[in-house]
Amino acid sequence: MDLEQLKQKMDQAGYVYDDTMATVLYVALTLGRPLLIEGAAGVGKTEVAKVMAAALDRELVRLQCYEGLDESKALYEWNYQKQLLSIQVNMNTRDSDALTRQLFSDEYLLERPLLKSIRAEKPVVLLIDEIDKADEEFEAFLLELLSEQQVTIPEIGTIKAKSVPFVVLTSNRARPLSEALRRRCAYLHIDYPDMEKELNILRKKLPHVDDRLCAQVALAVQKLRSSEAILKKPSIAETLDWAAALDALGIRELTADVLRQTAGFVLKNNEDFQVLDEMQAQPEQHHCSHCQGHSHG
Amino acid sequence: MVEPTVYLEKLSAFSRLLRLKGLNVGPRETADAAQVLIHLGMAQRETVKTALRTVYASSREEQLQFDTVFDGFFLSEEKIRQQAQEQRQKEQEMEQRRREAEQELEQVADSARLNQQQRDTYITMPEEARQRLKDFVERYKSNMERNPGLYSEFIHSVFAKTIMEQQLLMENAGESCLAADPEVGILYRELGEFQDSEIPKAISIIQNIAKQINGELSSKRKAKAHAGKLDFRRTIRMGLETGGSFHRLRYRKKREHRKHLVILCDVSGSMVQFSEFALRFIQSLNQVSENSRTFLFSERLVEADAFQLHNMDSFRSFVRDSDIYGRGTDLGTALEEICARRPPILGAGSTLLILSDTKTIDQNRAVRAVLEAKRQAARVIWLNPIPEGKWQYLRSVQTMAALVPMLSCSTLRELAAAGRRLAQL
Repeated sequence: MDLEQLKQKMDQAGYVYDDTMATVLYVALTLGRPLLIEGAAGVGKTEVAKVMAAALDRELVRLQCYEGLDESKALYEWNYQKQLLSIQVNMNTRDSDALTRQLFSDEYLLERPLLKSIRAEKPVVLLIDEIDKADEEFEAFLLELLSEQQVTIPEIGTIKAKSVPFVVLTSNRARPLSEALRRRCAYLHIDYPDMEKELNILRKKLPHVDDRLCAQVALAVQKLRSSEAILKKPSIAETLDWAAALDALGIRELTADVLRQTAGFVLKNNEDFQVLDEMQAQPEQHHCSHCQGHSHG
Repeated sequence: MVEPTVYLEKLSAFSRLLRLKGLNVGPRETADAAQVLIHLGMAQRETVKTALRTVYASSREEQLQFDTVFDGFFLSEEKIRQQAQEQRQKEQEMEQRRREAEQELEQVADSARLNQQQRDTYITMPEEARQRLKDFVERYKSNMERNPGLYSEFIHSVFAKTIMEQQLLMENAGESCLAADPEVGILYRELGEFQDSEIPKAISIIQNIAKQINGELSSKRKAKAHAGKLDFRRTIRMGLETGGSFHRLRYRKKREHRKHLVILCDVSGSMVQFSEFALRFIQSLNQVSENSRTFLFSERLVEADAFQLHNMDSFRSFVRDSDIYGRGTDLGTALEEICARRPPILGAGSTLLILSDTKTIDQNRAVRAVLEAKRQAARVIWLNPIPEGKWQYLRSVQTMAALVPMLSCSTLRELAAAGRRLAQL
């Protein structure tokens, strides 16, 4: 697949991207390198993996990271109940070696996302979400999978990948990741979208919503994000929810009152509401080109 | 047609340049870059730049470094000519300004008495600032002729002050360039240099680092209720109750190796700049560890109680209201008191974490106290907010580093690295 074909597939998947992102994805695919995506919460990092799965027509296998995540939740676990039952059933067997071999065979192995992704017959897209939430030990454990495309299970040995998954790791930079992990990955940083890109996303995802309303929503979100006083910046998903909600309410104009009443879709704590009140108390007089002379509070 | 080896040589030279700039670039990256260029071709400059950036840079900070090197290395012929032209123009303008400035300086040479560095700064000053100084000299010209001894000193001090302000302005301009992207550099900047808007992000990073460090120092894997290993003995026994069927599994209980953490934080005058972050860090450590004690010291020792540590505002006001904040440092006395207290604070299961810049009065006594603390505690670890590059010039740091493991924590990145290295000490 060349760069243009990848762009076409992403277009078909309904994803709004820029040339930089398309090139980075193409490079990661070509080199077979895992892709590490960093950026603030809600800029669409996870969405990249979903879109790649759709674009490449592959299954998406997702591993959500959290503190305390270990191999038994990420890689494999033995089905202890089944093993114990098997021991009971075969209590009188004489060949204990055969029984042991049988107990540690595929039949008793519970696949978790990482093992599933490398044992799949067809290549998959493996999403390791919020890797910064996992412990450092888990990060080190991932290195073998990321660089050698294999994992080691003590009772069985090394399992090599049947098909090479396209690995996407995401991080909110809650903690710095190790150099060893970074070196094995292609790197992409995603910022919040600018006005034009956000408007394109709104148009593409919510084609039924009035274009003027989309522009007003996009502009209001841009303003909220640009304010340093806003603690939790609105994400793209929240922008979409907001626009959809306004449309569902039959609102055609984002006035100051409507903004205050429905801002709960994008602002999620009281301090941010107070900032919004202060921003509305000092209305700007200039007009924007996107909404035909409408003045924003 | 250019030989492919020429491209490879250029790519190899480019990799070397990136390495010189501090990027972690090995042969694998160069090979990958070559492979990518074969696929993508070199017709589109921006595509090539993005592709190579993906291969070579592995963080946001490295991406910025990469862009600078790339823009300097891969120049089109037109761009080279344009840059040369601009450079020539700039040099001519500079030369012109230098001549003008030197003429101006000649007129006040005796009274302004500027050294070479000040003269260089004067040349770079904007026209308005220089005009103000010229007006000032003009205004006092007659006074200077009447009483040269008195007025030359005055004129010198005004020139020196204005030039110093100009130097500071230039340095600030450099810093504001760095601060243009709030994401970049937050891990690399010294803790005392954060802006107000960056502090929430820094605090959340500090809390995560504190969690990690506490994890290394005390117990592992708190999130799971069991060790993940099956307890066959208990499972079989439980199975007997249900006629030998193992429908309920029993796991081995997690063994807790929770170590007692004693934190000793320097809040003396030399640490004031760092103290706010040190307090945040300590508070985060206390939030994740229930088994710790925190002591603050400058000229004397004060223990912070658990209630105050729960709320950052009350903890901060407690520290600022106490008469130890921002005073001189006496590490020896503080450590001696900790070692001498009964019931003992330090023991075979405790880790002593000292946050200090090592500057203290009576260093010999401090050394003896550190050795005693080392004898009493299982581990003593020193977190030093002074950048590691400056340690070689500070005798007190060298002395203490020879006694106990010392880790630099002048930036968040170093603090995180310290967290990782704690496990290996």
